Amino acid sequence: MIDWFTDPYRTQFMQHAAITALLIGVLAPTIGVWVVLRRLAYLGDAMSHGILAGVAGAYLTGISITVGALAAGVTMGLLVALFDRQRRLGHDSAIGVAETLMFATGLILISRNDRIGVDLTHFLLGQIVTTTRSDIIVNSGLTAVALCIVAFTFSDLRNVTFDAGHARQVGIPVGPLRLVLIVLISITVVVSLGTVGLLMSVAMLITPAATARLLTQRIETMTAVAIAIGVLSALVGLTASYHLATPPGPTIALVTVACFAVATVTTLRRRT
Amino acid sequence: MNDAPRDHPILQLTGVGVTYPPATEALVDVSFQVDVGELIAVVGPNGAGKSTLFKAISGLVNHHGSVELCGNHCHHQRDRLGAAYIPQRSDLDVDFPITVGQLVLAGRRRFLRLGQRPGQRHRQAAHDALERVGLADLRRRPLGTLSGGQMQRAFLARALAQEARLILLDEALSGVDEPRTEALFDLFADLAASGTSLLVATHDLSLARRRFSRCLAVNRRLVGDGPPGQALDSDHIEATFGTAPRSSSAA
Repeated sequence: MIDWFTDPYRTQFMQHAAITALLIGVLAPTIGVWVVLRRLAYLGDAMSHGILAGVAGAYLTGISITVGALAAGVTMGLLVALFDRQRRLGHDSAIGVAETLMFATGLILISRNDRIGVDLTHFLLGQIVTTTRSDIIVNSGLTAVALCIVAFTFSDLRNVTFDAGHARQVGIPVGPLRLVLIVLISITVVVSLGTVGLLMSVAMLITPAATARLLTQRIETMTAVAIAIGVLSALVGLTASYHLATPPGPTIALVTVACFAVATVTTLRRRT
Repeated sequence: MNDAPRDHPILQLTGVGVTYPPATEALVDVSFQVDVGELIAVVGPNGAGKSTLFKAISGLVNHHGSVELCGNHCHHQRDRLGAAYIPQRSDLDVDFPITVGQLVLAGRRRFLRLGQRPGQRHRQAAHDALERVGLADLRRRPLGTLSGGQMQRAFLARALAQEARLILLDEALSGVDEPRTEALFDLFADLAASGTSLLVATHDLSLARRRFSRCLAVNRRLVGDGPPGQALDSDHIEATFGTAPRSSSAA
């Protein structure tokens, strides 16, 4: 049994993959807690698609992919805020239109350059086993920055999420904090790029945090449980994908859903 | 504490109106004054603009006209730190993972900088607020496990921790049983006696008549202001409740 866990990690590329999986296993659930509590799951999903425009734009112009993705994330947040001003539309419609604009732009940008074609699948589905040392350094830095921002704004995030009106009354910068959350989601998607991929990044963002929400009554414990589920899912999923010869991203995503299913059944039984 | 001179009214509204886009007039030309330590009912049917009035005072919706708090014109949000708005329970996710102690500590945020952790002085102030409302033993409890009356006390404690001079309670007594309503009124009276002014929105006429010495009757406009016998006489009731409530977006 122990061999089942240790065998895959004798090679350096799988060790790199494990470190990357650990990073996303810690980061995505930490940010996901706020996405789930603010009921922004659809925004998280849409941003994971919309950020493709930034990745493609970065490729074409030669700037850093991280910078391109962050710029696309912030642009997407601003677009949603702009479309939200149409009061006849719901928030979900505003997100849907912004996502369409960004995702379609991303796909067209990619089609303009044959060289990116190879990497598109890489970004959409993740290629965790090709993670390099420099990827790990960049992703570690981004994860550390995001975790510091969460720690610094933790109580304000809690107050804004629970009662935005009171938060504004006592001087908490409600608008800027929303932008901060969008940047944090963008960072998470960037770190997901090389692991579970854009399409599955929402799995790590939403599912561990949603599972933890079912099991806990304090945000601190919710965050700890979400991280535990994220790390466990990432490592078990990566190991299983090695043995089963399945793609790592979707395998990790399915493990998170399995955790959610167990938590759902447990909490339902507890109530009945 | 916001040390406004006691001869100033706590709140002075002059010609306050709120229009929701595209053109729903939720509140029209409302003017009144609230003095130190007054306990006032704001009476009106659902959709009459009671919540909008409170949000305008708190700066949570755009309004025209002037709002003065403790003698100061409210130009910016920071001018309204002395007012605490307690929304209806239905406007909040009361199952949110926050403890009673964390909720009350949020009131101290007005005294802290961004990212600054509350020190002992602030924790003590939050504890004192909880003791005053009788919930000190429940500070570690998740908010969602409290009864309706206890929850109102927790929000009052947050307002006390905020050192608010004016507390705006929106339908605070809905879903609170009779004995606990009595206990809440004892607490309101205690707060009013110590100089805090309270506006309590309700659509319960009999409660307003029994428990308040001053009532504001609202139906988009201020249609009555005075003791219940005067503000809630038959003419004012007709003006307040006689017309069909406006759309719920104006609530």
